[in-house]
Amino acid sequence: MEPSLSVDIAGIKMKNPVMTASGTFGSGVEYSDFVDLSKLGAIVTKGVTLNERLGNPTPRIYETPCGMLNSIGLQNKGVEAFIREDLKFLEKFDVPVIVNIAGSTIEEYTRVAERLSEESMVKGLELNISCPNVKDGGLAFGASVKSAVKVTSAVRKTTRLPLIVKLSPNVGNIVDIAKGVEDVGADAVSLINTLIGMAIDINSFEPQLANVFGGLSGPAVKPIAVAMVWQVSQAVDIPVIGMGGIINAEDALEFFLVGAKAIAVGTANFIYPEATIKIINGLREFLKKSDFKNISDIINKVKV
Amino acid sequence: MSHIEARILTKKEVAQDIFKLSLFCPEIASTVIPGQFVHIECGKDKKFILRRPFSVHRQINEDVFEILFQVVGKGTKSLAEVEVDSCLDIIGPLGNGFKIPDDCKNVLLVAGGIGVAPLVFLAEKLFLSKISFNVLIGCANCQKVVRFPLKDEMTGKIYFSTDDGSLGSKGNAADLLLNHLRKNEKPDRIFACGPEPMLKAVTSIATRNGISCFLSLEERMACGIGACLSCVCKTKSGNKRVCVDGPVFNAFDILWE
Ligand SMILES: Cc1cc2nc3c(=O)[nH]c(=O)nc-3n(C[C@H](O)[C@H](O)[C@H](O)COP(=O)(O)OP(=O)(O)OC[C@H]3O[C@@H](n4cnc5c(N)ncnc54)[C@H](O)[C@@H]3O)c2cc1C
Ligand SMILES: Cc1cc2nc3c(=O)[nH]c(=O)nc-3n(C[C@H](O)[C@H](O)[C@H](O)COP(=O)(O)O)c2cc1C
Ligand code: FES
Repeated sequence: MEPSLSVDIAGIKMKNPVMTASGTFGSGVEYSDFVDLSKLGAIVTKGVTLNERLGNPTPRIYETPCGMLNSIGLQNKGVEAFIREDLKFLEKFDVPVIVNIAGSTIEEYTRVAERLSEESMVKGLELNISCPNVKDGGLAFGASVKSAVKVTSAVRKTTRLPLIVKLSPNVGNIVDIAKGVEDVGADAVSLINTLIGMAIDINSFEPQLANVFGGLSGPAVKPIAVAMVWQVSQAVDIPVIGMGGIINAEDALEFFLVGAKAIAVGTANFIYPEATIKIINGLREFLKKSDFKNISDIINKVKV
Repeated sequence: MSHIEARILTKKEVAQDIFKLSLFCPEIASTVIPGQFVHIECGKDKKFILRRPFSVHRQINEDVFEILFQVVGKGTKSLAEVEVDSCLDIIGPLGNGFKIPDDCKNVLLVAGGIGVAPLVFLAEKLFLSKISFNVLIGCANCQKVVRFPLKDEMTGKIYFSTDDGSLGSKGNAADLLLNHLRKNEKPDRIFACGPEPMLKAVTSIATRNGISCFLSLEERMACGIGACLSCVCKTKSGNKRVCVDGPVFNAFDILWE
């Protein structure tokens, strides 16, 4: 018998526990030549704000050992155009769509959440309170328990959709923030967002990114992500979605073993556009080979 | 658009630190148009992870295409070390490519350094379409000059300039362009590829002379397929992605930083 990969994250039913990480998969359109989107566990779209945002100046990326820095700065066309164009495109696929939302003020978060809650295509919201690349907001909300709780409870009041809060690793204690948002009604947490980093061009003496700082992602961050997923999953009862440097099924397995109920694939999409599908197949193979019937058989089974 | 393995048929150092690879890859070779590029994994099992974009330099036949690249960093260094008969992991063809309008009769190609790479493919298409053209190439010095492989029967003339005057006239591609326009008939269109300062200079010369001008731009890229928004350039109609909305843009639409 084929092992079962299906999971239920906060009421969102997924065929498998493999999602896309926000900002690394566009809205799915861009990848539809390479991936049958209906085969994914869920699509998490690029961060959406109330109005269009142009993002940061270029260069916006710089490659670092086993990773990359990005400072895209939440470029997006705003919630209305997103609904009209991107959600519309996704209608033809049988896959849950989770929309990543961002804002500069609590009111912006709640207005975007309210608007998206009217759309039946949207199966969940992921609250980005951890973007290191915009000065006004993003990380400002995710940096302290108090502000994270404030924005989460405000959005909680405006929507019945499953609410996932995306946590930043750039904080003193990620566990406190996870517990704080759980207390005010978050249905799940996802982690980690990128780590603040900087790189310098030694010829020009200038930073490699026009924005000076960027967010580090890719294989380089994986051990940090695994540690944080482990700490958080021990501390909260809501599902934990793990991400950070996952390139293949073996990487993904580490996250399940430390307690993630689902995982998301980010930077790997840039290198291998079919990475998500390969990971799904690899997980199935692993379960089969090891005689597990269900992905849940390995979740949180690390021996420590 | 395909994601495939392409076998390396030949590798040659054609000028100092400049290499040419010919790749067996019918999926790309049979569909690619001038100005499009491929996204190549240069360092499997190395510490760097992202692909590197390279223009298609020539379409040899329905099965084989070439790239021409200059070693500037770790990715291109590693690409210069690949062995003939091994395979490269490639995504392509990507991007929009050069559009040649029907009423175009006389074209000028302007290359700065390794910017000649996509213009050779374009020149071959222009020749097949019986459109006359000239080529201006600016390089650092004579060691960096790549032969522009035009067959004798092709109409185009090629002019060189070098920064140190070691070949052709002394100066850069923009100087060469100014000089050329002074002495020759005005072209219907300029196609240019090269470093940003040169493209800016070419744009301002084209503007002053009222010549339509299209540029192939470069930006750092991650995905190459329009998803990550790392490669944007500012245009009159908003941010555009160099990888899918370009790399070829109307010079007069670009808002330079
Ligand atoms: C659409 C497109 C087509 C291109 N076609 C060609 C081609 O035909 N032949 C060729 O030799 N090069 C081409 N380039 C440039 C080529 O992609 C870069 O030279 C290459 O990515 C550098 O990789 P690296 O690892 O060797 O350098 P790195 O170690 O990454 O960097 C070395 C230097 O190269 C610069 N650089 C890095 N990435 C790019 C980039 N994408 N564009 C410009 N500079 C960059 C860096 O800022 C740095 O100064 C093209 C770029 C684009 C965007
Ligand atoms: C180019 C890029 C853009 C991103 N944009 C967003 C975003 O809009 N919202 C968000 O919550 N996270 C964003 N992220 C963070 C990723 O979703 C993910 O948390 C992080 O990259 C770690 O996973 P990875 O190592 O697999 O990429 C972005 C990451 C990258 C590399
Ligand atoms: S390289 Fe990702 S959008 Fe162009």
